[in-house]
Amino acid sequence: MSTGASAPVQVRTERLVVGEGEVRLLRAGSGPPLLFLHPAGGGGWMPFLDGLSSRFDVLAPDHPGFDESATNPEVEGVDDLVYHYLRLLDQLGIETATVVGASLGGWIAAELAVHSPHRVDKLVLLSPAGLRIPEAPPADLFAAPPERIPELLFHDPSIAAGLMPDEPSLDDIIHIFHNQTAFARYAWRPFMNNPKLERRLYRVGAPTLVVWPDDDRVIPRAHAERYVERIAGARLEVIAGCGHALYGEKPEEITSAVLAFAAGADGGAR
Amino acid sequence: MKFNFFHLMPYPTLPDDFDERFESPSLTYPRGQFDPAVGTEVYNRYLDELEYADQLGYDGICVNEHHQSAYGMMPSPNIMAAALARRTKQARIMVLGNAIGLHQYPMRVAEEIAMLDHLSNGRVVSGFVRGIGWEYFNHGVNPTHSRERFNEAHDLIIKAWTELEPFEWWGKHYEYRYVNVWPRTVQQPHPPIYVPGAGSTETMKWCAEKRYTFMSVYAPKQLVKRWFDGYRGACGDLDYQPDPEKMAFAVPIYLAETHEQAHREAKQHVNMLYDKMLRQGLQIVNPPGYVSESSLRGMLGGGAASFMSMRYEDRVEHGMALVGSPESVTEQLAQLQDLLGFGQVMGLMCIADTPHHRVVRSMELFAKEVMPHFRSVTPEPVGAAA
Repeated sequence: MSTGASAPVQVRTERLVVGEGEVRLLRAGSGPPLLFLHPAGGGGWMPFLDGLSSRFDVLAPDHPGFDESATNPEVEGVDDLVYHYLRLLDQLGIETATVVGASLGGWIAAELAVHSPHRVDKLVLLSPAGLRIPEAPPADLFAAPPERIPELLFHDPSIAAGLMPDEPSLDDIIHIFHNQTAFARYAWRPFMNNPKLERRLYRVGAPTLVVWPDDDRVIPRAHAERYVERIAGARLEVIAGCGHALYGEKPEEITSAVLAFAAGADGGAR
Repeated sequence: MKFNFFHLMPYPTLPDDFDERFESPSLTYPRGQFDPAVGTEVYNRYLDELEYADQLGYDGICVNEHHQSAYGMMPSPNIMAAALARRTKQARIMVLGNAIGLHQYPMRVAEEIAMLDHLSNGRVVSGFVRGIGWEYFNHGVNPTHSRERFNEAHDLIIKAWTELEPFEWWGKHYEYRYVNVWPRTVQQPHPPIYVPGAGSTETMKWCAEKRYTFMSVYAPKQLVKRWFDGYRGACGDLDYQPDPEKMAFAVPIYLAETHEQAHREAKQHVNMLYDKMLRQGLQIVNPPGYVSESSLRGMLGGGAASFMSMRYEDRVEHGMALVGSPESVTEQLAQLQDLLGFGQVMGLMCIADTPHHRVVRSMELFAKEVMPHFRSVTPEPVGAAA
């Protein structure tokens, strides 16, 4: 297991200008590039990325408008985010990368792989948003009262207590509002989906792993299954006893699943 | 001072166990709770009240737009204004306002207001609002676009009212190859514009630049003072002093023959308005991007949210309802006018579940025994040089 207690991972902060906005890019490890696209909760460096950095040059940018990346007037939707990340990869001189995305980030990753299949070595979608399945829509995180958020995101909501402030300060509330504003900008309507994405998924050429936590109360299983159905050769892996928070709830399991697929033999080489 | 009779047209009853069963009377409050027979009765009753206000000599009668809510049942205020236009003679018909941030077709608002201006023979006032936060949920409109949609729709409507030749509109949210609104408005260049503000400095500056009437929303008087001071300051930055009538103070008003009787009766109505009709989670009122982060910081830091949980006595103390005998209400209003410097009052007299006979009594006592005290007085502009 490569997530064990080795030397602490050195995470570097890079600031680069992409188009009209500055981006914060967190980066650690060495090896082939792995682009991590964060979920709607926010960016930054997640502990589960430590394990990935043992085998990859892990790049974790904040999406425009989230956390420490500036709001970019040119980036108003997920389609713009695809062009944003292609531009970022170009600027960094990265021809191809393994792309891992969670939830909102999974949606962006899928769109990126549809748009430019030749830029994606392997694709890992962690409970991805993005598909329009009217009979099984995602939960409305915009309308949920704050006290309901832990039970929506976690199989064991008590874990949330350690990760979220009990009595959020005014600054905490403003920060959450800031990230939610970026999320709404990209995903309010159509609500967390692109109606055309499903019929375009045939374009994805990379070996693909879809991970679905078995107690996901935000994105129903139908979404993970539909991705697997539409992407040739894609495989579904179910994480037991885990909610939509994924690596917030079961970091070691998520790291292992991603690493085994992305660095191991079972994903196949291109 | 101008006196306007403002109606929300609330659904008049909520179930006894409302607090336990429902998060809000808006957005998700099931329409199964709406009894069609009650609806027909109160729509007609409320129109009667508005018409009666015209007969009593109120300067304006006001309607507004809300959707999918027991708080206010006018998804189309223009329909109500049309119903009033030919049944009233003197009062200005104030649509406060059309929620142009929500509409897919702002051209329709330009057309309907122009029609209303004819039906009322030039009595219409056109308010523009963004729409309450929860209305972005039930319209599927992205709240992060709220302000830019409002601004663009406003610019388009004003141009549609003032340009005499067909023109093209290439906006971000609206695109028209042919804008050529018939009819033209009676009032030229267009009807007066009123806009509500709830603390946003951006709105104050915008109203000051456009010389639009700035309305408060229900809030404690110290907060309203900050808003009106902000508006006056914004006018001052443009080197002019606004006419007091450019500031309109919105407040629930309840009168009875004696002070004691008024309070005894008003308490349940005022509390129902604030505790139930305005009950709504922060995430519903302020969806992401609906307000700027600095505005949200001001609202949360400034205690605007906490007035929701006030006691009745504190609500009265803070000027969130004017309640009393005619003498007492006259006195309270005079004090508020001194403090705030407004030149118009938007009085809400049908407060939540107030029954018709009590609304009528408030209207009559106010018109006959309060309004005359203020008719002859021209208020000194607040903050004028000594």
